[in-house]
Amino acid sequence: MKNKILNIKNLSKSYGAFKVTDEIAIDLNFNEIHALIGPNGAGKSTLIKQIVGSVKHDIGSIILDQEDITDLTDIERAKIGISRTFQVSSIIPKFTALENIILSLLNKSNNTFQLFKSLKENRELHSKAKKILIDIDLDSKTDEIASELSHGDRRKLEVGLALAMEPKVFLFDEPMAGLDENGTKMMIDLFKKIKVNSPILLIEHDMEAVFALADRVSVIVYGKIVATGTVKEIKSNDLVRDVYLGYEI
Amino acid sequence: MISEQFFNKWIWFLLLITPICGLIFDEPYYITLATKVIILGIAGIGLNLALGYCGLISFGHAAFFGIGGYVTAIMSYHAINNEILFSWPFDIFGSSDMLIIWPLAILISAFLSLIIGLLSLRTSGVYFIMITLAFAQMLYFFSISWPNYGGEDGLSIYMRNSLPMLNTMNPLTFYLICLSWLSTSIYVSYKLINSPFGMAFQAIKQNEERVKSVGIETFKVKLLIFVISGAITGLAGSLYTDLNRFVSPSVLDWQTSGEIMVFVILGGIARLYGPLIGAAFFIILEQTLGAYTENWQFWLGLILILEILYARTGIMGLFDKKKKYEK
Repeated sequence: MKNKILNIKNLSKSYGAFKVTDEIAIDLNFNEIHALIGPNGAGKSTLIKQIVGSVKHDIGSIILDQEDITDLTDIERAKIGISRTFQVSSIIPKFTALENIILSLLNKSNNTFQLFKSLKENRELHSKAKKILIDIDLDSKTDEIASELSHGDRRKLEVGLALAMEPKVFLFDEPMAGLDENGTKMMIDLFKKIKVNSPILLIEHDMEAVFALADRVSVIVYGKIVATGTVKEIKSNDLVRDVYLGYEI
Repeated sequence: MISEQFFNKWIWFLLLITPICGLIFDEPYYITLATKVIILGIAGIGLNLALGYCGLISFGHAAFFGIGGYVTAIMSYHAINNEILFSWPFDIFGSSDMLIIWPLAILISAFLSLIIGLLSLRTSGVYFIMITLAFAQMLYFFSISWPNYGGEDGLSIYMRNSLPMLNTMNPLTFYLICLSWLSTSIYVSYKLINSPFGMAFQAIKQNEERVKSVGIETFKVKLLIFVISGAITGLAGSLYTDLNRFVSPSVLDWQTSGEIMVFVILGGIARLYGPLIGAAFFIILEQTLGAYTENWQFWLGLILILEILYARTGIMGLFDKKKKYEK
């Protein structure tokens, strides 16, 4: 139990008779990347939304770092250490890449309600933000307006926003979608580096990336976890091969 | 093409040269007209913080403008008649001192915006528009049915409120007082929009869900900017009552909310000087076209339609090469 940073028990959500998530039990250990895979519509993104608190679950509990956060709001959960990326890039479109990262740094640095201090003169925030832009390989696009960035760069910026929060756990929803080969490699290296401080629950359709990164993999189908194990175990699981992976892997 | 910064300097030049021209040509009316532009500009600057920078489409800023106006008139009315304003828990008298009236008008407008904000900011979009409108209309009908302070006929204060060592009845003096409040409002807005707090409320306008996800308490941010916005608009209402030496329920009417919104849209949403330019344009139209036809607002409507179709950045946006807020 002490090894678990995030522990989700019996989490369920229904819309009428349709069960989006059905008694989900999943955990995340320290220094771990736990991948969540499954076909489209399986309930992966809804599970992320329930963990961050933007979708209310019907039953179940969520424990973060031995604290029950089940009844906290989405903002409270973000404040105590849950950081996410969105399936469809969600950035501040008219801000520059640098400004997007600075926004994400505000809460942790207790700067949000500084009413009359110039943001430009806050060198600490700027240098922290620039360091993150280097980490996500966007340092050459510091002053570019976010909406004008390429799709791949927006995905990187999403991850940068999550990094800036210095959370306890990361929930990444398809962070590599639309990235080129170099971008994917950069992300894989980055995730391996950051998981040491903040473990990652990763939703990803790029199976090569998942198998290169994940310490454990869970497979979700129709809102239910059907298998959990190491990459090797999942690859050889007949049920998983039947419902999702196929037999060519 | 001149830049926005250069145009801003021209605005200050015009603000300084206008009273001088009024004095040279012995036309105090133009000084009074320019004072009106400044006061309405301050009201617009207040609304611009909420609407322009934070995306809160308030259709109830007349409530703050009107309450600022009524606080001023009521304080002055009690001071002139030497009547007690409140007798509980102790006797409180009115005052005709602007140094007392201004903070009071700002505080009461801020308090009212806090109450309205607490209730209305739980909604968004069209519901927010309707609930802010409803609050302002409630106050409007209350003022009509409040005979103690003139009811439908309004309340005259005969003499402008006073400021130590200054003759506020002098148009130039009052113009300069309002000008100093304008520069304060612009300075406060500038500092706010360039602060970390400013970054938060400008981000909320663009993507509130994302701002929440990085742990920023969006409700508190919106509430605070709404209160500051209401307080600035309340100050403008106080100055407006002193300018006219009269207040009536019309300052609380939805039409006033609409006019303040027109200043912001005409001048340029989320432009520091936009509401001032919008107010100036509005008054110039009123004075020039109004001399020919009672229905001058038809032409204002036409201009607004053309602006929304072809120049959404407003007048100030014409000078911005980047057109940051075009979409």
